[in-house]
Amino acid sequence: MIGLVPAGAGPMNTRWDYLLIPSFVISFLLLAASQITFLQGSLYTDLGLGQLATSASINNYATLLNDEFYVNALLLTIRVSAIATACTLLMGFPVAYVIARMRSRWAMLMLAGVVVSSFVTIVIKVYGIIVIFSADGGLNKLMMALGLLDRPYTIIGNQTGVVIGLMQFTMGFGVLLLYSVVRTIPVSLEEAATVHGASRIRVFWRVILPLSLPGVIVGALMIFNMCMGAFTSAALLGGGRVFTLPVLIQRAVIIKTEYGMGAALAAVLLVSVIFINLISVFLLKRLRAARLVIA
Amino acid sequence: MTTNTILPATPTRRALWRRVRLGAVAKYAWVTWAYLFLLAPMAVVLGSSLDGTTAYSGVVFPPQELTLKWYRQIPASHYEALGLSLALGLSVALGACLLGIPAALGVVRGRLPGKSLFLAFFRAPMQIPAVVSGVAFLQLYYVFGDATGLFLNATFVGLYLGHLFVATPYVIGTVVSVLQRFNLRLEEAALSMGASRWSTFRRVTLPTIMPGVHAGALYAFMVSFSDVPIAMFLTAPGFLTYPVELFFGIETDFNPSVLASASLVILFSLGLLLLVQRVIGLDAVVHSRG
Repeated sequence: MIGLVPAGAGPMNTRWDYLLIPSFVISFLLLAASQITFLQGSLYTDLGLGQLATSASINNYATLLNDEFYVNALLLTIRVSAIATACTLLMGFPVAYVIARMRSRWAMLMLAGVVVSSFVTIVIKVYGIIVIFSADGGLNKLMMALGLLDRPYTIIGNQTGVVIGLMQFTMGFGVLLLYSVVRTIPVSLEEAATVHGASRIRVFWRVILPLSLPGVIVGALMIFNMCMGAFTSAALLGGGRVFTLPVLIQRAVIIKTEYGMGAALAAVLLVSVIFINLISVFLLKRLRAARLVIA
Repeated sequence: MTTNTILPATPTRRALWRRVRLGAVAKYAWVTWAYLFLLAPMAVVLGSSLDGTTAYSGVVFPPQELTLKWYRQIPASHYEALGLSLALGLSVALGACLLGIPAALGVVRGRLPGKSLFLAFFRAPMQIPAVVSGVAFLQLYYVFGDATGLFLNATFVGLYLGHLFVATPYVIGTVVSVLQRFNLRLEEAALSMGASRWSTFRRVTLPTIMPGVHAGALYAFMVSFSDVPIAMFLTAPGFLTYPVELFFGIETDFNPSVLASASLVILFSLGLLLLVQRVIGLDAVVHSRG
C-alpha cells in the first residue's frame, strides 16, 4: 500500500525523512527500554518479599517449563483466545457485512451501536455479564420459568464465561475491522456473480470469502493478540478457577510480588504470541503463492 | 392439483424465492442476536442501576422499583478515578498525535529504504500482549528508579508513558491510511501557485489528513480510557484509573452504586459518540481505521 506514493515523487520530499526522527527515537526508547529490562528481569530468581537474586540464571524458565501447571496455563490461554477469536469472527462477520452493504440511515445507527461497545471498558461489560448470567440472574430465572432449565446454570467460573468475556472485549473492535474489510470488496463483483446465476451461498464462498480472507486473517490475528494480553475477563469471570497466563502474571507481580517469575511468564507469553503471528503470516504467504486468496 | 404447463419455471422460481427469503431471515436473525449479545451487558448495567429493590448481595434486572438513590451513593473514589482517567486519556491522545502524525508523514512521504520495516516497528506495540507491556513498564520503572532515585511507578508520568506506548500506533495507522489515499497533485498545485512549503502544509496537507488525526486521537483516548492490563501494574491504591477502580470493586464489594457510576460512563461514551458524529462524522472515523 505504501507503494501508492512513489518514493521521492512528491513535492517537499526532502524534509519528510527528518520528521521521522523524534518519533522514532521516542518510540524506540520506550520499546527497547521496556522490553529489554523486563526480559533481563526475568533472569533473576525471586527470593520472596519482592527481593531478587543478585546473579542472573535461567531458573525461572526452568521452573515454569518443567511445571505442568504453567504449560497447561499457556495451552489454556491459546485455546481460550483461539475459540474467542473464531466466535467473534463468526458472529461479527455477518454484522459487518450487513452494515457495509446497507444503504439506509440504519447503517449509521448500527455502526454507532458497535462503536459504543468498543468504547466502553470491558470491566463495565463484565458487570453486565455477571448480572445476566449469574446463578440468580435474569437469564437463569427466565430459562427456569420457561422450563428450559431445572436448576440454575452459570457460566461464571468456567471457560465458557471467559470466552464470552473475551468476545465482549473484542466484538466491537472486530466488527469495525471486518466492516472496513468488506468495504474494500466492490458490490459490482457480487452483482456480476448473481447475474450469472450464482446462488447467495455460492457468491459467499466464491467471491466474498476469497476476497475478504487476507483482511479477515489480519483482523483475526489482531483479535487473537488482544485476547492473549487480556486478563480482565479471565480474572473476573473465571471466578479464580480459570488460570490463563495473563491472570498468573498479574497474580505473580501484584499479589505475590514475584517480579522475576512474572517477567518470565510475560516473556513466555510474548514469545508465544510472536511465534503464532509469524506462523500465520507465513501461512498467509503460502496461501497467496498457491493463489488461494487474492492480493 | 393442476400442473401449469405454460410456465414450468414458476414453482422452482417460487422455491428459489422462498430460499432467498429464508436466507435473509436467517441473516437478520443472526445480526439481531449479535446485537443483543453486544449491547445487552451495557443495557443491563443501565437498567439495574435504577433499581430500588437491589440488595447488596444480588442485582435485579429488570428493575422493580425505579430510583436514582444509587447515583447519590457513588463513592468519591470513583469520581477521582474518573478524573484521572479523563485527564490521562486526553493527554495520551494529544501526545499520540504529536508523535504519530510526524511518524506517519515520515514513513509515507520520506525516501527511506525499508519503509514497511519502519511501519512494522511503529506497529509493534499493538502486537505485544497488553499485560506484557504492563509488566515491562513496571520493571523498567523499578530499574530506572534504582539507578536514578526517581520512581515512576504509580505516578502520572509513568502511567502516561505506558499508555502513550500502546496508543501511538493507532494514530500512525489512521494517518498513514489517509495519507496513502492523498492526492499529491493538490500539494503540487499549491506549490506551483507560489505557496510556501509551510503554508502548503498548513493549508493543504494538514486539512486533508485531519479525518485520520481525529480518528486516531479518538482511538488513542479510548485505548487509554478503557485499559486495565497496563494500568493494573502502573497504579497503586489511592492512584487508580477508573477501569482499575471498577476491577477491584467487583472483587471486593459488588454494590449497586458501582453500577450507577458505570452507567454514567456508558452515558458519557454515548455522548462522546454523538459529539463525534456531529463534529467529524462516524464514517470518517470508521473509514480511516489503519
